[in-house]
Amino acid sequence: MIAFEDLYKQYSPQIFRVCLGYTNNRDQAKDLVQETFVSVWKSLPGFRNESHISTWIFRIATNHCLRAIEVAKRMPAAELPFDLTETQEESPEEKLTFLYQCIAGLQETDRVIISLELEGLPQLSIAEIVGLSSGNVRVRIHRIKEKLTQKFKANEQFR
Amino acid sequence: MNNLDDLRTIWLSAKTDGLPDPDEMKRIVKKFRSQKLRKKWLVIVMSCLLSCLIMAVLAVMHFKFITTYIGGGLMAASGLLLAFTNFRSLKRFYELDDCSNLEFLAFIEQTRRNQEFYYKKTMVAILLLCSIGLILYLYEPGSRHLLWLACMYAALFSYLGIMWFVVRPRMFKRDAEKLEATRKRLENISKQLN
Repeated sequence: MIAFEDLYKQYSPQIFRVCLGYTNNRDQAKDLVQETFVSVWKSLPGFRNESHISTWIFRIATNHCLRAIEVAKRMPAAELPFDLTETQEESPEEKLTFLYQCIAGLQETDRVIISLELEGLPQLSIAEIVGLSSGNVRVRIHRIKEKLTQKFKANEQFR
Repeated sequence: MNNLDDLRTIWLSAKTDGLPDPDEMKRIVKKFRSQKLRKKWLVIVMSCLLSCLIMAVLAVMHFKFITTYIGGGLMAASGLLLAFTNFRSLKRFYELDDCSNLEFLAFIEQTRRNQEFYYKKTMVAILLLCSIGLILYLYEPGSRHLLWLACMYAALFSYLGIMWFVVRPRMFKRDAEKLEATRKRLENISKQLN
């Protein structure tokens, strides 16, 4: 039996980044981490190793993200406006903020897929977590990556 | 910015400090777990206690009118029915944590159907049993003074009227809107996965 504390120590930073990428809001991300680990705590005794534990935890976390109605109300998916006219070199924080803004412009499931990909999960696990075929996930990741790099390039052009 | 590795470097630069430590999280988890369904458990315990109290009063006290016994019995029955309905829905909520989005969508749909059934049938039965029970139960103490009886029934009918025509429809509308928003959202997500 895996100890809850060990799971929390190992996965909470990753889960937090995924939730933060999805919500673009630290407080909501913290709430979602909390809800995820409440579910993990409740379901851990019944976990039967049918899937890898990381896949299981990320599935719980992403389901909580997708079901969070407050997030949906606050952040409807929309295209990012390119009105960025600053000329200074971007700091890492600004780059991260811009990445989150770009992710916010994606569909909900694409937000989850790219968050898991950036977190370094194998594409097979991502497919299992979101319930798509691995081929479909591969194609989607390619498209999302294209969109994100285009936005970053456009952003650099305006600088 | 040409590849996924650059994006990953930016992604991993996010600060993850400020999260609770494992012991604190364990405390939060235990508290949160009991809080989430506390309202439902409270309804179950309180309605069972009230039903037992009413039955105990009926058994111990000696009333002259049969209406008091019938009224008390009906109120106790309404309490038990309320407890049973809430108890049945608890199990469904406990199974909710580890399910797929499609299962969750089915859960929402089932909840919507249950809610409609509760509003149209169970709630009507509970309120009817409780209202008739209360009217009958209060007849004996009020029958000694006509003015008292009139005032008591006036207050009672006003209360029941507000519950039937204001609180009940409002409660249903609010819950139905919440469920509908979740259902629409889940349906949209299911479409994205097809």
